[in-house]
Amino acid sequence: MPMVTIDGRQIEVEPGTSIIQAADRLGVEIPRFCYHPDLRPEGNCRMCLVEVDGFARLAVACATPVADGMVVRSPHTSPQASQAVNGVLEFLLVNHPLDCPICDQAGECSLQDFYMHPDYGLHKSHVDPAEKVHKRKRIDLGPRIVLDAERCVMCSRCVRFSADVSGKAELQFIQRGNHVELMAFEDRALEDPYAGNLADVCPVGALTSRDFRFKRRVWHLEHTNSVCAGCSTGCNVRIDHFQNHIERVVPRRNPSVNSSWICDEGRLSWQAAQGGERLTQPASGGGYPPEIRWSEAVKAAHELLTDRGERPLAVLGSASATNETLLLLRRYAEQAHSEHWLDFRLAEEVQLVGEREDQLLRRRDKHPNTLGAVYLGLAGARGGLPAMLEAAQTGEIGALLLVYYPPLVGEESAGVAEGIARLLANVPRSVVLTTHRLPYLQGAALQLPVAAWSEEEGTYTNFAGTVQVVERAIIPPGMSRPATAVLADLVEHQVYRRPDADAERLFAELARTVPAYQGMDYAMLDSRTATTYPPEGRMHYGQEGFAGR
Amino acid sequence: MAKKASRVVDVRAAVDAASGPLQEAAGTLAGMEVTLRNMVRATVERKHVTIQYPEQRKPYSRRFRGVHVLTLRDDGRLKCTACYLCETVCPAQCITIEAMDVEDPTVEKAPSVYEIDLSRCIFCGFCVEACPEEALIMSREYDLSATSREPERLTYGISALTQRPEIAAYGAGFRPHMDYPLVESYLPSAVPGPDGRAKAKK
Ligand code: SF4
Ligand code: SF4
Ligand code: SF4
Ligand code: SF4
Ligand code: FES
Repeated sequence: MPMVTIDGRQIEVEPGTSIIQAADRLGVEIPRFCYHPDLRPEGNCRMCLVEVDGFARLAVACATPVADGMVVRSPHTSPQASQAVNGVLEFLLVNHPLDCPICDQAGECSLQDFYMHPDYGLHKSHVDPAEKVHKRKRIDLGPRIVLDAERCVMCSRCVRFSADVSGKAELQFIQRGNHVELMAFEDRALEDPYAGNLADVCPVGALTSRDFRFKRRVWHLEHTNSVCAGCSTGCNVRIDHFQNHIERVVPRRNPSVNSSWICDEGRLSWQAAQGGERLTQPASGGGYPPEIRWSEAVKAAHELLTDRGERPLAVLGSASATNETLLLLRRYAEQAHSEHWLDFRLAEEVQLVGEREDQLLRRRDKHPNTLGAVYLGLAGARGGLPAMLEAAQTGEIGALLLVYYPPLVGEESAGVAEGIARLLANVPRSVVLTTHRLPYLQGAALQLPVAAWSEEEGTYTNFAGTVQVVERAIIPPGMSRPATAVLADLVEHQVYRRPDADAERLFAELARTVPAYQGMDYAMLDSRTATTYPPEGRMHYGQEGFAGR
Repeated sequence: MAKKASRVVDVRAAVDAASGPLQEAAGTLAGMEVTLRNMVRATVERKHVTIQYPEQRKPYSRRFRGVHVLTLRDDGRLKCTACYLCETVCPAQCITIEAMDVEDPTVEKAPSVYEIDLSRCIFCGFCVEACPEEALIMSREYDLSATSREPERLTYGISALTQRPEIAAYGAGFRPHMDYPLVESYLPSAVPGPDGRAKAKK
C-alpha cells in the first residue's frame, strides 16, 4: 500500500485515497470548500492546494490520489502553498458581503475560520466595499432552506448533493464570472425530502436552515451526540440545545449508517417529542390527582398490577423504548410470572423493519428499536396487540402494563390507536408509561410520565443490528423520569431490591445475557465513535469556540 | 531569616492599667476626633463633603456608563440587527435577545425582544463596545431603583430602552467611538412610553 508523507508525518493508505483523505486521517488540517467525504470530488475551489515534491505546480489535495513515496507539504509548512491559498481566499472574498454579524453560519463558517487562520488567512483586502458585486438575498427555497446568493462561494457541494445524493437535481449555477449565482429553477420551492442537509453541506451561510433561522448564535449551543428515533435506520445525529431547550438536530457522519445525511422528518422529529401535550405528572383515570408523589404513584401502580387474582399480567413494550427499558420490562414480566404475556408488537413493525421507504435513508418501520425488542425476546408466541385484545375481551387478562411512546415521525395509525383504547377499556387494572397525554390512553387506570427521546440515555438496535447510544441532551419536563428509573422502582416492589437503572450497567447485563450483544462494551458502541464532519475538534464544525458561555 | 526575639506581654495587666472611667472617656473622645473635626468644619466653617442628593447633583463625565439606550435609524426603527454580540460578551449574562424576520428586504433581521436585566448588569460597557452598529450606547442615567422585587421590575425592554424621558434628560454617555459626534437622530426623543417610566412588555 502506498506510503505518503504529509508535513513530515507518514501514513500508509489504500491505493486511490486522495491526499486530503490521508491528511484527515493524520489530523493535518487542509482547508477546503468543495471537498466533502460523502460527495464526489470536483476540485473546483482550489482551497486545498498543497506542494508535492516532484510536481511542477501545486496540486489540489482533494482530487490527487496518493502515490507511494509521495512527499506533501500543506499550507501550514509550505510558504508557496500558503501564499496560493491566501490568494484563493482573497478571490473568494472579493464580492463576499460583510454579513458575519447577521449571518446564521457565523461561528461554524469555513470562510470565517480560514480567513482567521494565521498560516494562510488574514490578507488585506484590495476591494472597496462599495465596489462589491451584489446578488440576491433572502431567497425563499421552500419550507426548509433560505438562499443568500451573495454569500455563496460556488463550491457546488449543494449542487452535487441535490444531483447525486438525493437525486432531485434542483440546484444549478447561472451566469458567469463575477456574476455566477446559485439558483433553484425559477426559485421554486425545493421538493427534496432531504433538503435540510443542504444547509449542512454548505460551508458558508449561503444556504441556511429556515427552521433554525435566527434562533441562536451557534456558539451558544451545547452539543449532545444521539441517534435519530424517527425510523429503524437509526441515523447518527447531534442535538444542539441551549438552556434545556433543543434548538436543532444535525447529522453526524457515520459511513456505515447514514453517511453525512438525515431526512427532514428526522431532523424535525424533536418537535414531536417536545411538542404536543406532555404528561408531566402521574394521572389516574384520565385526571390528575392533586400533589401525588412518585413513591405513591409507584405504589399505586404496583397494587394495580399485582392485585389481579389468578389471571395473568399482560405486558406490552414499545419498539421506541431503549434496550435498557425493555430489559427491565422483561425482568418485571418474568418476576410476575407473565413472561408468556410479554410482547411489543402494535402493528407490522417486525415485517417492516428493514423495508426502505426511499433509496437513501428512510425506512417504513417508524420505530428506532424494533430489532432490539426482537433480540430481547419480546416478540413471543402471543401475536402482539390484536391477540392481547382478543384475550382481554374474553376476560383472560388480569392487569396490563403498557409502555407507549407516540411515533416521532408521522401519526400513530388509527388501527393501533383504537386497539390500544379498546385494550385499556377491557382491562380495568392498567398502568401506562407514556410521554404524552393522548386521547387513546385516557382509559388507563394510571398513567406515569416518562422521559422522551433526547431526555434519557440508552441504546437502540437499528434495522441492521447496529447498537448505538443515545445520550441525554435535556432534562425531562415536570415530574417525568426515564422509563428505566420507573421500571426499576416497580421491580423493587416485587423483589425488595432495586435493580440498577443506569444505562451503562444495564447494557453490561444485556451483553452478558442476550446472544446478539455478546461481548459488546457500552463505551465502544458506535454512536460514540462516529464523527461529525470534519472530525470533532477540527475546523468549522462542532468546535467549542465559546465554551465559557 | 533571623527571628526577632520574642517578648512576653501580660495582656491582662496592660488592659487593667489602661481601663477606668477616665481613660474610657478619653478614649471615646479620641475616637471621635475626626467626627468632631468635621462637625466643626460643617457647622462653623460650612464646608460640606456631601451634597444634598437628589436636589443637588454632581456633573459626570461624558463617558459615564449609565443605563443603556437603543439607538434609532432615521425612520425611527431600531438600529440593532439582532446579532447577539452584546448578549455573547455580557459577563453578567443579563441581555436577552430574540430575532425575527422583517418585511423590509434590505434588513436581514431585527430584534423582537431585547431585554436587559439591569438588576444583574454590572455596567461594564462591554455590550456597547461589542456592538458593530452603535445600536447600543449608554446614557448618563444612574439613579436606578425599584421599590419591590416584582418580576422584572428592573428588566428594561425595547420601549424602556428607547422611550423613557430620562434618556433625553440625562443625555448620552459611553460610546465606543467618543471622538465621532453622536448623530442626533440616533437618540430617541423624550417621548414617554405608554406608562411613563415603565419598562417594555415582554
Ligand atoms: S458566510 Fe461566513 S464569512 Fe460570509 S457572512 Fe456568513 S459567517 Fe461571514
Ligand atoms: S450555496 Fe453553499 S454549498 Fe452551494 S455552491 Fe454555494 S457555497 Fe457551495
Ligand atoms: S454593561 Fe456589562 S453587564 Fe451590563 S449589559 Fe452590558 S455587558 Fe452586560
Ligand atoms: S451588539 Fe448591537 S446590533 Fe448586535 S444585538 Fe447587540 S445591540 Fe443589537
Ligand atoms: S477542496 Fe480541493 S479544490 Fe476544493
